[in-house]
Amino acid sequence: MARYLIRRVVMLVGIVFVISVGAFYLIHLLPGDPAVVILGTGDSPQNRAILFKELGLNKPIWDQYFIWMRNILHGNLGTSFISQTSVAGTIRAALPIDLELIVLSQILAFATAIPAAMRSARKPDGPLDRVLGATSFTLLSIPPFIIIVLLVLFIAIKLQIPHTGPSSYVSFSSDWIGNLESLALPAFTLAIASFVVYYRVLRSDLIATLQEEFITLARSKGLSSRRIMWRHAFRPSSVALLGTAGVNIGGLLASGFVVQYLLAIPGLGYTLISAIAQSDYLLVQGIVLVVSVGVIVINFLFDFIINLVDPRISRE
Amino acid sequence: MSDRLLEVRDLATTFATAGGPLPAVGGVSFDLNQNETLGIVGESGSGKTVLSRTIMGLQPRTNVTVSGSARLNGFEVVGASEEAKRGIWGTEVAMVFQDPMTSLNPVMRIGKQIDEVLRVRLGMDKAAAKARAIELLELVGIPSPVERYRAYPGQLSGGMRQRVVIAIALACSPKLLMADEPTTGLDVTIQAQILNLLDRLKSQLQMSVILVTHDLGVVATRTSRIIVMYAGRVVETGSTRDVFQNHRMPYTRALLESSPKVASHSHTRLQAIPGRPPNLMKLTAGCAFAPRCAYATERCHRERPELTAAEGPGHAFACWNPLPTTRGAS
Ligand SMILES: Nc1ncnc2c1ncn2[C@@H]1O[C@H](COP(=O)(O)OP(=O)(O)O)[C@@H](O)[C@H]1O
Ligand code: SF4
Ligand SMILES: [Mg+2]
Repeated sequence: MARYLIRRVVMLVGIVFVISVGAFYLIHLLPGDPAVVILGTGDSPQNRAILFKELGLNKPIWDQYFIWMRNILHGNLGTSFISQTSVAGTIRAALPIDLELIVLSQILAFATAIPAAMRSARKPDGPLDRVLGATSFTLLSIPPFIIIVLLVLFIAIKLQIPHTGPSSYVSFSSDWIGNLESLALPAFTLAIASFVVYYRVLRSDLIATLQEEFITLARSKGLSSRRIMWRHAFRPSSVALLGTAGVNIGGLLASGFVVQYLLAIPGLGYTLISAIAQSDYLLVQGIVLVVSVGVIVINFLFDFIINLVDPRISRE
Repeated sequence: MSDRLLEVRDLATTFATAGGPLPAVGGVSFDLNQNETLGIVGESGSGKTVLSRTIMGLQPRTNVTVSGSARLNGFEVVGASEEAKRGIWGTEVAMVFQDPMTSLNPVMRIGKQIDEVLRVRLGMDKAAAKARAIELLELVGIPSPVERYRAYPGQLSGGMRQRVVIAIALACSPKLLMADEPTTGLDVTIQAQILNLLDRLKSQLQMSVILVTHDLGVVATRTSRIIVMYAGRVVETGSTRDVFQNHRMPYTRALLESSPKVASHSHTRLQAIPGRPPNLMKLTAGCAFAPRCAYATERCHRERPELTAAEGPGHAFACWNPLPTTRGAS
């Protein structure tokens, strides 16, 4: 386990390094002078002087990278010359909304997918399994942005439920109930996409596990079906589920961005799209970096949980 | 005392498969007394596993039909609900499975797998269950049981895993222990150790044992009676002595000649049984062994022989052209 962990952490550091180089290089990839790219509409002789001093733009590119990296390690992602605010501060304000959306949607998705998959696996091809299979297949074919539009039309506009319509985001600190209401529809939308995937993956793994000899042995001990399902079948069947969940986080963030944009919820997605619209590339760079590293770290965490769940993996 | 523990009558198990009904066990009857050890032998595919699972009601829950009767200590297993059967599993009858590589939960510590049955079935508290589990590990001969308690199955050898499976089976002191090819997947030296362990536990714990195997050598010295199975039916049964020395059914002899242990003792050459096991979905009206039998006559293909009594106590065989008896000859 320890050796496995060390290997994984080394890999994680390597990947984060590559990502950081990519994010750093983003500015240089855009056509034109990097200073012009960064300053955008804030181009003025004073700003240019500050920028050159801060980023060492007249130094070799690797020195620029190390200066940039050192700043980042101090929590400094630069100051946007367009909005005159610190990039780190902007991200810190937006990020919790994304996290909340993800956590809410994942709680919803797991809390529904796990019992549904268990019931399906208990009697594969039974009536319930067929209904759930057809439902999940239908949901799978509707993209999230359609679902959110339908939900908003029906719940926010037709039923006039407060805080659920576009541009009605309420912050957690001002009114937590209102906040939950304003995130309910987007969280639900994201949960649907996750539910479908989790349900299908777990169902087929549970069906396979329930055929195993150790399940028959567990039965022969006189344990209840419920106990066999939760204590014996669930854990060895959840490896692919966790792996899928880890990979799913990336897609979830992307869907979250679209939903945020549609409902004007000021999370990272909304912020990113506005930053692109305003050519605020320093902010774009910061968000790209934070999101990519975040996805990698979440994947790493899921990988780690998988190892706790199934000790066979790190032993091999 | 020869109290009856198990009565099996006309027990039949049929699976509904995509290709039609598959009669895996067809009309088996026998009795088992307390403290007795019975051997069930037969080639692979002859229905031994299905029979032993049907006896304890552990067949798959779907696509299977069971008829006849299996009374275990007064409890009718056939037709009983899963919930009712849970009441006898572990406490009245327990099973040691064939392959210790797949019969333990790979992601649960072995101690927990023993604990669980003590806590759920006997209502022990955590500490008592743990203490008892360690005792059981010791009983089945696992060295340093306190440390092994925390091991995962993957950290143990096949022989050690099978000892854990035995410990689980013994946890609630069952009256009947079913051992379904308990040594088939193991090295030869380990095989003997496990069989000796089962012998010792049987007398120590006053259990009846059904020892299932494809190798007659395994049951030679350990059982009082033997049932020989072919194509889901009993084709010969009797005292272990009669089955070994006075068998009348050609298939029993073929089985003996194919057993490495028995054959090497008698200096005959080890012979695989010629031909292939029958397709259970295409059984004819005749003797199922006929296509492979050197003694087969026209009648064998037409009519199925029923079990008929031979001279020895409880000795019976199903064959139209039995081998000559050797009783009294030597
Ligand atoms: N769940 C099942 N569904 C369909 N056929 C089965 C099932 N289990 C066993 N069988 C069939 O029953 C027959 C007897 O199998 P089994 O009892 O495992 O033989 P043995 O233990 O003597 O090797 C085999 O032909 C096998 O294919
Ligand atoms: S009945 Fe005929 S075919 Fe069957 S074992 Fe006896 S001699 Fe052989
Ligand atoms: Mg078998």
